[in-house]
Amino acid sequence: MGDLLYNFTQWLYSTPLNQFAQSMSESALSLWIVERFWAIPIMQVTHILGIAGSFAAVLMLNMRVFNLAGHATLAETSARYTKVLWWSLAVIILSGGLMLFGDTVRNLLNSIFWIKMVLVVTAVLLALGFARGLRRQSAVNDRVSGGTKALAIFLVVLWCVIMLCGRWIAYAPS
Amino acid sequence: MYPEPTNLWERIEYSTLGTTIAESTWMFPALETAHVIALVTVIGTIALVDLRLVGVKGHALRVSQLAKDTLPLTWGAFALAALTGGLLFCSKASSYMINPWFLGKMALLALAGLNMMYFHMTTWRTVEHWEQDPSFPTMAKVAGWLSLVFWLGVVFCGRAIGFTLGIFY
Repeated sequence: MGDLLYNFTQWLYSTPLNQFAQSMSESALSLWIVERFWAIPIMQVTHILGIAGSFAAVLMLNMRVFNLAGHATLAETSARYTKVLWWSLAVIILSGGLMLFGDTVRNLLNSIFWIKMVLVVTAVLLALGFARGLRRQSAVNDRVSGGTKALAIFLVVLWCVIMLCGRWIAYAPS
Repeated sequence: MYPEPTNLWERIEYSTLGTTIAESTWMFPALETAHVIALVTVIGTIALVDLRLVGVKGHALRVSQLAKDTLPLTWGAFALAALTGGLLFCSKASSYMINPWFLGKMALLALAGLNMMYFHMTTWRTVEHWEQDPSFPTMAKVAGWLSLVFWLGVVFCGRAIGFTLGIFY
């Protein structure tokens, strides 16, 4: 696994992304962030809060899907927590984008960073489908299908793997 | 070979558990990952209730029901955060104990706990009487804001530890 990640990172260095990352790291925004000791920790805290909101929303949707929480209909629960999810995702994207400028080369030329990006896009697309599925099932009989339950669990696992990737970017072999 | 411990924190750090975590290539990052997952669960679920207390509506769910729904997740995740945090502490106990951000994090955790305890022993006892009012009592809002500030401080201190550990020697 380590070799695979290492080779992926080495390949990234051989692509035009390398030059792009180098020039991005010399941008005014990047230099502004790098020169301020507390800029990165503050962005990371904001990023963590965004993840907390998203993950809590996914967990609460799971609780309702498995009848472990609340008596609201699926549509009400879905509307309540998808709003939290989208706001939190906006915070994640904004803070994540700024963090990218703060440590451009280490992120853009990092195998685990790209795995994380693919997983985040997957999680967003699946969350869209999940929320739509809940609304549809609520309109029929407010019962949850086996497929929706499986998707609910998969989303929790996916978010855990995304957080794992986020933490392990710092430890990726390069 | 580790030197002879001179205090409790070194005794913890040089213990079999502490040195095993510190010397392993994967244990510390794995524990960090579990700690982060647990902490975001604690903060996310607490924030849902706190935001409701301070007046962010967005839905008609009763705050007592919301608290009941989130509580198992909050406590389960808190137990995991405490366990993983304790194991992380063992690996560098003496460095943590002289780091002001770590001490600040522990103090804020205690304040968050005291705030929650005080709120539950006072204003929360009458929640059925006010949770359907258009505006919650001032003490409920104060408890919600304090909780948000304390937990934000916990996250900030936690992140600051990572940037400052080892520079206070």
